[in-house]
Amino acid sequence: MRLLGQCALLGLLLTSTPFLQADSRVSAYALMSPTNQAMQNDMSLNPAMFWIMDGEALWIDRNNPSSKACVDCHSDVKQSMKGVSATFPKRVQGKLLNLEGQINQCRTTRQQSPAFAYESKPLLALSTLIAYQSRGLPIAASKDSAIDADFQKGKTLYFQRMGQLNLSCAQCHDDRAGLKLAGSVIPQAHPTGYPIYRLEWQNVGSLQRRLRNCMSGVRAEQYPYGSVELAQIELYLMRRANGMRIESPAIRP
Amino acid sequence: MSRSSRAVVTLPKTAKRGEVFSIRAIVQHEMESGFRHTEQGVRVPRDIIREFVCTYNGKEVFKADLHPGVGSNPLFIFYAKADQSGTLEFKWTGDNDYLTIVKQAITVL
Repeated sequence: MRLLGQCALLGLLLTSTPFLQADSRVSAYALMSPTNQAMQNDMSLNPAMFWIMDGEALWIDRNNPSSKACVDCHSDVKQSMKGVSATFPKRVQGKLLNLEGQINQCRTTRQQSPAFAYESKPLLALSTLIAYQSRGLPIAASKDSAIDADFQKGKTLYFQRMGQLNLSCAQCHDDRAGLKLAGSVIPQAHPTGYPIYRLEWQNVGSLQRRLRNCMSGVRAEQYPYGSVELAQIELYLMRRANGMRIESPAIRP
Repeated sequence: MSRSSRAVVTLPKTAKRGEVFSIRAIVQHEMESGFRHTEQGVRVPRDIIREFVCTYNGKEVFKADLHPGVGSNPLFIFYAKADQSGTLEFKWTGDNDYLTIVKQAITVL
């Protein structure tokens, strides 16, 4: 009995310590209808599987000036790309690159081909294929201190009011997460599922598309695709969601 | 020369005689409605799948007409009754000579 009491006291002490508190971060997955959740979980229902298949075809495609396919350097995508998307954006040759940026860097240097346009089918196919290999793994955001300044800038942008509506990301996704905007619940904005198949888009889209989407929503001038500002926001969001499970390719309404 | 695209059909490999089994058929298609315009104001011509037919040993078991309001990558979930072993054929036809055919065998025990 006394032992039990001691255990209970120990339990109380443990739960009251701040760093052992339950994680209050929730993926937008929890806000979706059961049918949409099923669509995400079951890859025979998830339309993003077509992008994965396209990506698998591109992975072994040697049709470029250097006659090199992704598979020639990286071998099997299932092995080599496991957990890779969980670490982006990170510093590559002194530059902050997100996953799409890294794919294009390989594309231009190793394959000596023009970079894929953002949101083009081949780029989304490759990024979806690569991100899919990290499904179920925790986000392991880059701890590289050399990009701490980028993280700070991303954080500043996240809290900075912008656009005609004069709203910051944080005002909706931190302060009002869980409340409603129009008919939908405002999510906490964790980048766990990108690239996502968004039913509204009828298409797969990157995190940058989603960020630009919000910026046009508050009637701000959107940062261009591939810009350092969007990569900095990505970095801030990834560190903020560190440890959360990757769902890519997620379904979102 | 007809256009085609990826399609994935999910159904059991075997079924008991008389059993009702579920079939899922999803196809990759943009389903461009014909009502949208580019940023330059040019109308994007319609490009949709018009018809989906499933036949079981040559007998039609499911058919659907598709319209511009149907979203991209249409998914159908429907049921069929296992009569005898054979082949199910799934056929999507649409605008601009679109044609995709997938065949899948089923063994009835």
